[in-house]
Order: sequence, then C-alpha cells, then structure tokens
Amino acid sequence: MTVTGMSAPTYEISDTRLANGLRVVINEDHAVPVVAVNIWYDVGSRHEEPGRTGLAHLFEHLMFEGSANVGKGEHLKFLQAVGASLNATTWCDRTNYYETVPSHHLELALWLEADRMGGLADSLSQETLDNQRAVVQNERRQSYDNQPYGGWTEQLQELAFPEGHPYQHSTIGSMDDLEAASLDDVKEFYRRHYAPNNAVLTLVGDVDTSAALALVEKYFGGIPACPDLVGAPDGTAPASIGREIRRTIPDQVPLPAVFIGYRCPPFGTPDFDVISVLSVVLGGGRGSRLYHDLVLSQQLVRPSEEFVGAFDFVGGASLLIADLHCAEGVSPEKAEAAYDAVVAALIDGAVAPEEMERAHALLTSEVLGHLSGLDGRADAFSQHATLFGDPALVNTRLDRLLAVTAADVVRVARSVMTKDNRVVLTYTPDDAAADGAAEGVEVSA
Amino acid sequence: MTVLVAERPGAGEPRPFRFPAFSRHAVAGGTVLACHLERRPIVSLSLVSRSGAAAEPSGAEGVANLTAQLLGQGAGGLDAHAFAVAGERLGASWFAAVGWDATQLGFDVPSAAVPAAAELLHHALASPTLDAEELGRLRDERLDDLMADAARPRTRALRELAAALWRSGSRYSLPQAGHAAGVSAVDIEAVRQWHDTRLLPGCAALVIAGDLTGLDIEAVGATVFSGWSGGAGEAAGTTSEPVQGGRRVVVVHRPGAVQSALAVGHSGPARGGEDEVALTTMQMALGGTFSSRLNYTLREKKGYTYGASAQYDLRRDAGIFVAQSEVKTEVTAPALTDAFAEITGMHDGGIRADELDDVRRQRIERYPLAFASPRGVAGALSEIVVYDLPDDYYDRQRERIAAVTKEEVDAAGRRHLRLDDLVTVVVGDADVVAEGLGDLGLGPVEVRADE
Repeated sequence: MTVTGMSAPTYEISDTRLANGLRVVINEDHAVPVVAVNIWYDVGSRHEEPGRTGLAHLFEHLMFEGSANVGKGEHLKFLQAVGASLNATTWCDRTNYYETVPSHHLELALWLEADRMGGLADSLSQETLDNQRAVVQNERRQSYDNQPYGGWTEQLQELAFPEGHPYQHSTIGSMDDLEAASLDDVKEFYRRHYAPNNAVLTLVGDVDTSAALALVEKYFGGIPACPDLVGAPDGTAPASIGREIRRTIPDQVPLPAVFIGYRCPPFGTPDFDVISVLSVVLGGGRGSRLYHDLVLSQQLVRPSEEFVGAFDFVGGASLLIADLHCAEGVSPEKAEAAYDAVVAALIDGAVAPEEMERAHALLTSEVLGHLSGLDGRADAFSQHATLFGDPALVNTRLDRLLAVTAADVVRVARSVMTKDNRVVLTYTPDDAAADGAAEGVEVSA
Repeated sequence: MTVLVAERPGAGEPRPFRFPAFSRHAVAGGTVLACHLERRPIVSLSLVSRSGAAAEPSGAEGVANLTAQLLGQGAGGLDAHAFAVAGERLGASWFAAVGWDATQLGFDVPSAAVPAAAELLHHALASPTLDAEELGRLRDERLDDLMADAARPRTRALRELAAALWRSGSRYSLPQAGHAAGVSAVDIEAVRQWHDTRLLPGCAALVIAGDLTGLDIEAVGATVFSGWSGGAGEAAGTTSEPVQGGRRVVVVHRPGAVQSALAVGHSGPARGGEDEVALTTMQMALGGTFSSRLNYTLREKKGYTYGASAQYDLRRDAGIFVAQSEVKTEVTAPALTDAFAEITGMHDGGIRADELDDVRRQRIERYPLAFASPRGVAGALSEIVVYDLPDDYYDRQRERIAAVTKEEVDAAGRRHLRLDDLVTVVVGDADVVAEGLGDLGLGPVEVRADE
C-alpha cells in the first residue's frame, strides 16, 4: 500500500515462445470488448550504421505500405475501418507497432502484423521507398527544422555522447543519410532485424489465452527465424562526460531557452529508478522545487509540469534533461543561474519526507494510470520483455520506484548533476538566422 | 521457407457494447454525473461549466482562461504552492481547461483520494483567494504563451485564418486563449465578475468517471457543492459574425522557412444541426483519417507532407471548416492545387460507396475503444452537460451513424463545403512561394510581414 491507499495490481500473464522464437505475452482483461495488440522489434536507431542514420525509422514507415497479401494503403484502411487506433514509433532502442481493436477483430490484426513481419521483402519498391523518404523528410522539417527549438534533442544527443556512440545520432536521421538510403539498404535492414526471434508480441484485453495462442501460431508459425540476427552495438561509455560543453544557438525562436543534459545511468538500473523520483522532486508537477522557485517565486521561466526528465536508453548510458524556457525579459544566464541554485540546494541538502511523499504519490498515479489502459499495459509488457527479458517486471515496477529513499535522491543528484557532466544548449532569438541553417557556437569549459 | 496465411480473416462474433451506464444525482444544489469503470483506478473528477471563451466580454478576451487558472493558484487558505502540493500528495494532478463553449476544472486522482480531492476542488470553486499578484504572474505567462504559439507555423496559420474568417475584433477572430490586449486588460475585478456569474453550481455539473468502488458519490457531490452558492448564472454565448469576402490568400512571410504551413477554410455551421452526422461522415472521408482523400493524395501519393487533414470545429453558435497541412516549401502551389481539387471533388462528386462503408464502420466499431478510459468517458459526459444532450445521446448517435445514406452525406457536402468562400493562409517563405499562388484561382494574394 502507498500513501494514496492504492497498490498496483499484479497482472497475470502467459509468457511463451513459438518454435521460431517469437515471444508471446498475453494478459486477459475482459472489462471491455477490446484487445491491444503490440509488437516490439529489438531494433532502433542505435543499430544503424554510419552514413545510414534514420534508416530504422524510415523502415518503420515502409511497414505500412503493403506486404505479400496486403496492398498499398490497405493496412491502415482495413484497421481504421474496424475502429482501431494504431500507430508505430521508432526510438533509439526499439521499433514498436500497435493497434487496439474491438476484440472480435483480433484475427485481422494478427494477420496484418504477420504478413508484414514475414512478407515485406518482395513488396518493397523504389517508388514506395522514394515516397516514404519524402514523407519522412517532411516529418523532419515539421518536427525539427521548421519548429522553434526543434533541434534540441538532436543536438543534446550529439554532444552528450562520444563520437560514434550508438546514441550520438538522432532517430529521425540526417537529410543526407535519408537521401542516401537505397532499396538494398532497406531490404538488408529488414532481413537482419525483422524476424520472429527478434520480436515480442503482446496481447492485452478481451481474449482467451489458449485460443489466442492458437491464432498466433496460425498466423506467425510459418515465419522462419533469422539465423544471423544483428544485436545492438556496445554502448558502454564513461559514467561522466568529463567536462561542461556549451553551445549557443541563435535561431528564429520567440524567447530564449536553456536545455541541459547530463549523462546518467541507463534505464533498468536501480539508479535510473532514483532518477525517476529525483525528476519529480526537482521538476515534476506544480509542487516541485523548480516550479516553486523559478515560476512562483522568481517568475523567470515559463511554467512546466515536467522541467526534468530522463530518456529511457538502456544501452550503457542515458540522458537526464532539464528544459527551461525563459519568460519574456529574462536572460538565459539568469534562468540558468537560478536553476543551478536549485540543483545546488538539492546536492548540498536533503529531501524532506513530504517531498518524497509527493513524488511517490505522483509516480503511483502515473504507473497505475498507464497500466490500467490496455494499450499502455501491452506496451509495458513488450518493453520489459524486449529490453530486460522479463515482462513480469512490469508488476514490480512501482515497488522499485517506491523503494527509492530521500538519501538515494541526494546521492544520485550529487553524482550525476555536476557541471563537468553536462551539455548546456542555449537558444537565443535571432530573426536573421534562417531555419535549418543556424550556426551553433560551441565552447568547452 | 516463409508460409503466410493469404486470406484476410473475417470478424468474430462481436460482444454487445453500449455507452457505459452512468447515474445522475442532485446534491446540495448541484448536479453530479457519475460513471463506474471497472479497474480504472485513476478517476477523472471535474467541474464542467457551460461558459467558455466564446462568452467572454469584448476587451477582456482571456478572462475565462485566466480565471480557471487562478482558481488553482490558492484557495481555502492555501497559497499557490501549498494548493499544488496538497493535491499532488494525494497523487492528484490538477487541470484547468477552457474551450470555446465550456470550462473544465478538476483532478485526475486515485480512487481512494477522491473525497480529499473533492474538498480541494470545493475550495478552488467556492473560496478561491483570487490574489491580484498571482493574476499578474498568470497574465505574463499567458502573454508568453501567445508569443510562443505565434511562432509555431501551424498555430500561426490557424490564427491568421480565424482573423480572416470573422469580423475584426469579434470573439472568434481572436485566439481561444485571448489576445495580448485582452489578456493585459484582465484585472482582478474582471476575474471576480467572471467567477461570480459564469462559474456557478446552476450552470455546471460535477463529472466523475473511473473505478468508483467504495465511494459515496452523493457525499463527494455534497463536498463540492455545499456552501458554494450562487444563482443560475448567465446564459452563455456571444455570436461572431463571419466575413463573406470570397476567395483570397494571405501569406505570412517567413524568410528561409523550409516548409509552408497551410490552412484553408471558411466559417461553418453550429453544433447540433440536423445533418451533423452526414456532415462529419463527409469530413472523415475528406480529411479525417489516414486513408482520407487529403492525406492519401498529399502524403501517400505525392510525398509533399507528413500529413494532411480537414475538420469542422462545431461550436455552440457557429464553427469553422479547415483543411491543414505543412508542406515542403518548393511544392506549396501544387499542394494547394491538390487540396482544392480534393475539396472540390468531394463537393461536386460526393462520397464513394467504399468510403461511406469504411467511415460508418469505423465510427460504429470505435465505440468500445472511445468510451473505455476515465478521460474518454468524462469527456463524453461533459458534452452531455455542456450541450444539454439527452442521456442516451451516444447510443442514439450510433444508430444515426449506421443509418446515414450517400444522399444525405452528399447533400451535407454541397451545403457545408462552400468552394467560393475558401480562404487560404500560407505561413512560409513568400520570396519562394508567393509568385506561384496568383495563378491558381485561389483569389487575390496578400503578403504580410511576420510580426
């Protein structure tokens, strides 16, 4: 039990493998006649080769363009016509595909997923590749190049990890690399990474486990395993960046902003759980220290309920990020100094029991809310099975967060949030800077 | 060798689904709508008022939003920080949202903490501090928001479109969150006035959705409403007058922009029209789904964009139609040509049989997904409150969706797509795009500097 009187339910799961290596996780929940179908492939942008950044994500787009028995446009058309909500995402450590459907359409979802897992190769055409390349390049323009502050994640990753590190480049990839991707590249990427023995399929909702398993066998059982899967590259990196790296970016932005990134322990380690709690104490919700000092008291930055957060990288190291948008008339230097004072107070001080209570309560609500939805729960099972080899870890995730102590928070803040372990990106308004052509001025301290 | 099942499987036997049953309670002068959702432990608890930005007085645009925000900045003797912490120690996250027609305030809160959160909500509504200094801070925050919104190409395009479609200075011509002059003019008196006339038990209801096991709903309602007095409140709504100026093009010049944000639209009908289901069916086929004509042509055939869509924003007294996309700068003119061709094609030729079938099925089958989560159900119940809908509205609506015909859809398209009134906004590099726009038949082109 927690302070809020809520405890996380233990979800019963069936966790099996087909002969071809496909891991199948099933959790029955009959509250509504709906089932969430979720597949994680153990491939992301960290698997990309030099000169081919963005390939994992571009490939994700091609998975919607037709396969052996499904024509162009039909994947989305068929699923939307049965009321499904669906999408896919690519991130450094994964590519996931998911659709939530009324439960009497489970078989349609399985058929579509199996067809693109096993039957994409012959449907890939130069025309489809060129079309989706253009779409992805427009996604990059829309989300990064033509958006105020749009490039900050890409630049933090570039500076916070060593040259050539698997997390040093962005998932969206560079325009040049996207331009260079060939049909042979995507076919080879498919062959190496898209196979049943590199995937986890999770079903959560209104299904009968044994009947669902039989359907999974029917649709996926005939897809052979890949004999030479290519695993993730080594992401081992020193625990600290070892210096402060600063870059000022004059750009077409309305107000200055400061983005600070620290190299930190990866997701899945006990200290990453501490970072989850630390993020709430410092910058989560409206009762956080940063909200109190920088918004309510000093009025230096624009309000945010998530000033601090961490990327969920698992391979060697991750990134803890603080994100400060200056209020009008406030210089980035002033905002950064006030932020530094808040961090210093944490490192040099202690965390009060009420602060821990608040953080634990908010995290409890977050975890319970996320897992009570079929789609969030399905994604969590796929995630823990793919990244840590055990879907049942979902059931103990909240316990691990609640076990974090005030002393842990101070200890980890002290080791991670140091000036010689950080990148500071400062955006300053500059009307003359044409989008996409902003020149960064870099200083190492 | 790979063996796949070639045949597309059919559907299984559907489990019947109805909109989740909910109860109504009259408690302490207020109304409660409560819906139990099994194993949904994070409950949506909110006060829904029938007044939103559309009802704001001229010269104080932004007062609804500022008042809603200020209620959470101190109440019941707690200052802004203490109020935030009091909720968050319960695991409750506060939200205050203002739309054109409604205001919604409350918490997403663990089931067991609903009674305590209800007490905080009561304080925010009945005894807010309404501190002038806090209001000053919120005003500055909103002014920063307005600046940030204007910098985003898509938001900027929508803002310019609204300004072009409605008589200058009328409420719909200005952003929903207000404009700089309005926000700056909102003082504590204006806030008090709004609070005292627009946020009252008589023109609001408490909506609760989630796992309600063990909760005494009437007691929760009594906590929120007891001692919060006031009359029925003022009826909502000022009417904005549309501008009927024919086709024209406004280009907001952004030197060096690598994309153009496009918004094409005209003023539209109010909510609740007799042909609303036909209208929204047409809209989904035109630009409401991935497979819709606009997205399929501009994205999947041409590769001009990451996405294209079209919506009707149906408000209490009027609305707008808008088609949107962000396209690579160099293809701005051909993208607009294609978008106009799709809108015209739907107007002139109507919906195809396969489109009608897909949209109808999609909307019917979506029901159990749309009404599964506390937020989804709370949103649906809020619409019942705000627009005075009958309690069986959603189940009846599903029947109307199933029954809609091609003739009705096509008639709605001919009536509500007004080809001669389409105004086009382009936020992009005028040096590259403006010249080509004059020859497309979209009306006169005006280029403006980006302020």
